[in-house]
Amino acid sequence: MLQVKNLEKKFRTDAGDILAVNDVSFEAKNGEMVAIVGPSGSGKSTLLSLVGLLDAPDSGSIDINGVELARLDAKGRTLYRSRQVGFIFQAFNLIPNLNAKENVLLALEFADWPKDDRDARATEMLEMVGLDEVKAHRRPNRLSGGEQQRVAIARAFAAQPPLILADEPTGSLDRQTGQKIVELLREAATKQQTTVLVVTHDEKIANQADRRLEIEDGVLREVA
Amino acid sequence: MNALRRGIKNAFRNTVRSVGVIVILAVAIALSISMLVARDAVTKKINDVRASTGNTITVSPKGFFGFQGGGTPLTDAQMTEIASISHVTVVRASLNERLTSSETSLTSGITPGTLGQQFGGGGFGSAAGATTSFSIPITVTGTTDPGNALTGGASGGGTEKLTSGSSFSASSSGDVAIIGTTLASANKLAVGSTFTAWKTSIKVIGIYNAQSTFANNGVLMPLATVQKLAGATNQVTGATVVVDNVNNVASTAKAISAKLGSAADVTSQQQATLTALAPLNSVKTISTYTLFGAVAAAGIILLLSMLMIVRERRREVGVLKALGASNRSVIGQFIAESTTFTVLGSIVGLIVGILLSSPITSALVSASSNTTSGGGGFTRTGFRGGPGGGFGGGGFTRPTTGGGLRFGGFHSTITQVHAAVGWSTLLFAFIAAIVVAIIGSAVATATILRIRPAEVLRSE
Repeated sequence: MLQVKNLEKKFRTDAGDILAVNDVSFEAKNGEMVAIVGPSGSGKSTLLSLVGLLDAPDSGSIDINGVELARLDAKGRTLYRSRQVGFIFQAFNLIPNLNAKENVLLALEFADWPKDDRDARATEMLEMVGLDEVKAHRRPNRLSGGEQQRVAIARAFAAQPPLILADEPTGSLDRQTGQKIVELLREAATKQQTTVLVVTHDEKIANQADRRLEIEDGVLREVA
Repeated sequence: MNALRRGIKNAFRNTVRSVGVIVILAVAIALSISMLVARDAVTKKINDVRASTGNTITVSPKGFFGFQGGGTPLTDAQMTEIASISHVTVVRASLNERLTSSETSLTSGITPGTLGQQFGGGGFGSAAGATTSFSIPITVTGTTDPGNALTGGASGGGTEKLTSGSSFSASSSGDVAIIGTTLASANKLAVGSTFTAWKTSIKVIGIYNAQSTFANNGVLMPLATVQKLAGATNQVTGATVVVDNVNNVASTAKAISAKLGSAADVTSQQQATLTALAPLNSVKTISTYTLFGAVAAAGIILLLSMLMIVRERRREVGVLKALGASNRSVIGQFIAESTTFTVLGSIVGLIVGILLSSPITSALVSASSNTTSGGGGFTRTGFRGGPGGGFGGGGFTRPTTGGGLRFGGFHSTITQVHAAVGWSTLLFAFIAAIVVAIIGSAVATATILRIRPAEVLRSE
């Protein structure tokens, strides 16, 4: 269970302070897929980076399965990112000189997954997203966009984090491939009982989520 | 795949750049090795030369040189004064005399020959170059140090070594002598034989070999005995002063000059040695600066390369951090990458350095010696000459005019530097290279630490 309460984040600019995330509160249950939609610059990615502890909030709290995260120190945040959260990026962000399997193994290494089980786990995750042994040994530049995003999904879910944060996961893919990726995300979320927060501006994808939240000028509201 | 393996793998990500960095590092490391080897070789040579030539001072009466000069003899009292100067460990006083046929029963083992005929006449006051019939006088050296009396001295021999019999003590005043093998053979003398000098019967107690015919035609006797028999009471014609440390030679020579004033010429080999060593000192300086320059260049090359690489992979570093990589892990990865460059550069550099160190050392020494002219020479403890002239016996006239042996040969020996690459040199270079790698990449880590994972999302 993810609980976000009164989260705020300001950015200082030459034109003055901008409240990118303004008193945001919401909850998401395990296995639930929540879509966050909004126009560019509305604060979607900032909210995601705060929940993922990529950035520190100015105020508010983030609680995941009973653990308060906002007050973690640098080491604690690193540990949280490696074990409690998985990221899926719009541009995939795979490490280019590592093959698909090695990219998945990276997440397992950072999460301190048992060494003897890492290889099998990586293979299992790649099979789950539909990549065979041949493709598992290909570097990202020899995989299609869809395949790269599948690797990214496998990497995000590999260490069984309770929370997956996906930032425009279909933004770089064609509609058909994007649809498959969303289906994959749903399946993985259900199978592993993982909370998935998807930031998107694609209405069709947002409509497939269990819940839909809209953000504008940093203010979040739930849409029925 | 841990940070170490990722770092090693990353080192080969961009082949062209990796090869470029490795080649540049290899050149810098090869240059460092060559300079290190050149510096070591030259330093060793300088130390060897200074140790072998540097710690003696020659004192002789002013204007005196063998039998060709003049001047007033020094005295025992002056020798005592010299011995009291700081850093002086030994004073080897000597009095050189010559025995003509009317003063001794000995006959010279050297025939005058053409040279003796040519120069000998002048020595006795005849017109130079006149052909005169004469026999070569016997050289007598009165000494307080019979083991080293002829070393580098006027007799042109090496250190005398007893071939039979025994020596006399420094303070002896007995009528005893050690004679050279040439003289012993010519006069059929052996240990226990006697001969006459200055109307006194002298007992042969030893036979020596000093490796030259002229030196082996001489007689060594206690200083006090020669002073007494030759009527030269308290007189000394030369002294070799041994100083405790080569670095104290100049100051001690100055102190002796101050003590003896205008009565003596005080010379040391050190000045000649320093002049001869000047090219090597230049090489040492050049190689030291070049060594530091090359190491600094290697460090800067690596530093800039790693900074460039970290900047290029800024986004990737952000991704790694977002995935939960600790700063230590990311920094370790980049250190492994830079160390891989350095290790490969070092291997290539070491091989090239080993191959080039000897020719580079030779070239540096050769180039440096060509720009430094030789000069000066070694002065020699001479013989007390008669008024107005000297004596040239058979083979005595060596090309030593103008202050002694010119050191052309010595100079060429000095420039023969042996450049050897020792394991300690290689190990030092390798460790230095690794340290450079770590320092080079450590600076890049400052950039890594500043990268925040949130940048990954913002840049999209």
